[in-house]
Parts: sequence; structure tokens; C-alpha cells
Amino acid sequence: MDTNWNDSLPIYRQLRDRVVAMILEGVLNDGDPLPSVRSVAAEYRLNPLTVLKGYQQLVDERLVEKRRGRGMFVTEGARRALLKDERQLFLEEEWPKIAGRIQRLGFEPKDLLDALDKMPPEPAPSLSAARDDAGEDSGEEGERD
Amino acid sequence: MTELITARGLGKSFGATRALDGVSFSVQPGRIVGLIGPNGAGKTTALKALLGLTRFDGELSVLGLDPYRQRHKLMQDVCFIADVAVLPRWIRVSRLIDFVAATHPRFRREVCEHFLARSDVRKTSRVRELSKGMVTQLHLALVMAIDAKLLVLDEPTLGLDILYRKAFYEALLNDYFDEQRTILVTTHQVEEIEHLLTDLMFIQHGRLVLNSSMDAVQDSFVEVLIAPERVAEAERLQPVYRRELFGRKLFLFEGVARERLATLGELHRPSVADLFVAKMKGAPA
Repeated sequence: MDTNWNDSLPIYRQLRDRVVAMILEGVLNDGDPLPSVRSVAAEYRLNPLTVLKGYQQLVDERLVEKRRGRGMFVTEGARRALLKDERQLFLEEEWPKIAGRIQRLGFEPKDLLDALDKMPPEPAPSLSAARDDAGEDSGEEGERD
Repeated sequence: MTELITARGLGKSFGATRALDGVSFSVQPGRIVGLIGPNGAGKTTALKALLGLTRFDGELSVLGLDPYRQRHKLMQDVCFIADVAVLPRWIRVSRLIDFVAATHPRFRREVCEHFLARSDVRKTSRVRELSKGMVTQLHLALVMAIDAKLLVLDEPTLGLDILYRKAFYEALLNDYFDEQRTILVTTHQVEEIEHLLTDLMFIQHGRLVLNSSMDAVQDSFVEVLIAPERVAEAERLQPVYRRELFGRKLFLFEGVARERLATLGELHRPSVADLFVAKMKGAPA
């Protein structure tokens, strides 16, 4: 009733994605316990098998580990591993689209950097981190003088 | 014995009307089963047969017992919330607890009092002084305090506001359900329990028209928002149901490979409510 699940992905997969997002955002840190299957099921009114399936997926990806009798915990190094994958994914899938749009709109790198300076500070770190890695791509397109 | 409930050729007639017409199904322990059907489809008759409240034709075993002949024994492991509130209006909550404690061997008084302490219900109140939502809280506290293997809920949240409905299912999952226990629920408010269910049964005119695990439902039913130029091609794959949304066609397919459907448009998971409408209207080819 208050949770809107996207109807093009299975719910267990969306649960997995939520936990991944929480790890990436640092809401869950390495070694932190995950909420129990029962409490997640109750909170979202999901059947416990769905929650278990989402958790199992995280276990299979080695992002989460079962500790006997104590529940599930974020694996040491999970955030680092995820960040690596996410950065790779960004460079392969999102960045080409964004770069294409930048090109179509005719921006020069300087325009974008200036705009960045005027932005509130919070979103800047992730943007600049991506920019460093994508230096090659934007460099080619930015050969202007 | 692994199956909790087995029904084979379950039938029941009222005069010339076949309320149940050869229904067969089984339920495993640790499942949450939704029995969904329009009014008069046979839901309540099926539940009554399971609870031993009515005679029936065919074979039926609940927890290894014949519900009609061994009802007394069966009731030790089954509890039930009906759509009609059946608690006597004159009784005080404290007396009601005494009564259930005295009549049901598996009733755990301290568990019931623990649940009530968290609710708005006061033990000194009479049932008639409670709001409808509070009566349901009371009913739920009494029933969840019974250490039963099967819980049958017939329209448990009828007439409750959204907050009570939410709290009801939250309590059920948090404090009651586990892998040893099984819940069988009928409701018209399918959308609020669809993610809760592990298994789904649709009943129409006394017959089961769908009986499947939710996993299998999600594997076999896919709704596709058809790309305009693909409509004719999509028609050839024989959708089981068609509807329109903002001028776009949404087709529901059963048993067609996702990879094939992905070439026709955007794939969606049909809601149980959509599936229900599709199944009830049948599949005009």
C-alpha cells in the first residue's frame, strides 16, 4: 500500500537492489547485520520466501554472508566490490548516453564544469569521480583547440 | 505426510446449484495461500468443508484428518477468522480470554495479553464498546495466541480502514507466520495481499480455474505493452486477455517465452487483480 514495486522486475530482485543501494550509500556498512527476513516481510507485507530469495541472491553474489544462528551480515569488502561494478556499469552503459546527449546539446567541458561549480555541493563528488574515469571519452570529444 | 491439505473431487450442492464442482488441490505446510473468487463462487463453502462445518462429496484430508468426522481433533490445530464478527457483544474482553483459555488446549494466555497490550483494546471493555477495528484486533490476538498449524481467514479485513488492514497483515507476518504454519486466506482486496501470497487459487462457479505457486504464476503470465506496429504479430501468439491503456494495447500471455514477448513491447508483471479479471472473463480467442 505504501511501497510501490516496479512491475517489470521481480520483487526479490528489487529487494536485492535496495540492499545494494543501501550498501553503496553507506547506510549499511561492511559487517553490519541485515534486518531479519521476518521483519522485512512484515514491514513490506511480502511473503517471507520472496525476502529469502532476495537475500539468497545477495549471498550468491557474496555481498552478504550467513552467520549460523545470527542472521545475515554485509560481507567485508562488499561496498568496494559493488562500487567497482557500479563504476564499470556507469562507464559502459550510462556514460555513453550522457556523453551523446552532451554532444547533441553542444556543450563544451568548460560549460559543464562552470555549471558544476554553481551546483549545491552534495551531488558533486559522484559526478567528479565519474568525470575522472571518463577522461578519455570526453577528452576525444573535447579536442577543440 | 507432507501435504497439509489434500482435496480430491470436492463437491457440494445446494439444491440444483453446484457450489463446489469437483475441486482438487493440495496445500503444503509453510505456505500462504490465497483463495480468490467472485461472490458465490464457492469460496466460503470450500472453507466450511475444510473446517468440518459442512458435509461434502469427494475426498478431503486436513492435517491427515477427515474434517467432518474428526472436527473436534482437527480444531486443536486449526484456527479461523470469519468475515462476520462472531464475538458476543455483551462479553467483557477479560471474560472472553478466560473463556478461550478454558476451551482451547493450545491457547497461550500470555501471548494473547502481550498482543492486546500493544493494541487499543482494554481488557475491561465489553465487545460492544469496541470499534470494528478494535474487535478485529481482539479477534486476531485471540487467534494468534492459539498455537495452531493452519489459520483460515475469510475476508479478515472487510470493513477495516487502511491502517488497520496494514497492521493486521504486519502482525500476522511478524508474530504468527513461520515455516511450520500455513495460512489460507480469502479476500476481495487482492491488491493488498498479492505480495504476501506464496500460492494462488482462483475459483469460479465451484471450479478452480487457477491453482499455482506465485513463482509459477510469474513465470507463465506476462503482460506486454504492445508496440503499435507489433499488434498483428502479437495477436497471432494468442493473448489470453486484451485491454487498452491510453490508446496502447496491453496483452496478457500465458506460457509464451519472455524472450519472444520482449520483441513485441515492454514486459510487465500482471497484478493478481488483472489476472483475476482476465481469468474470470475467460479467453475469447
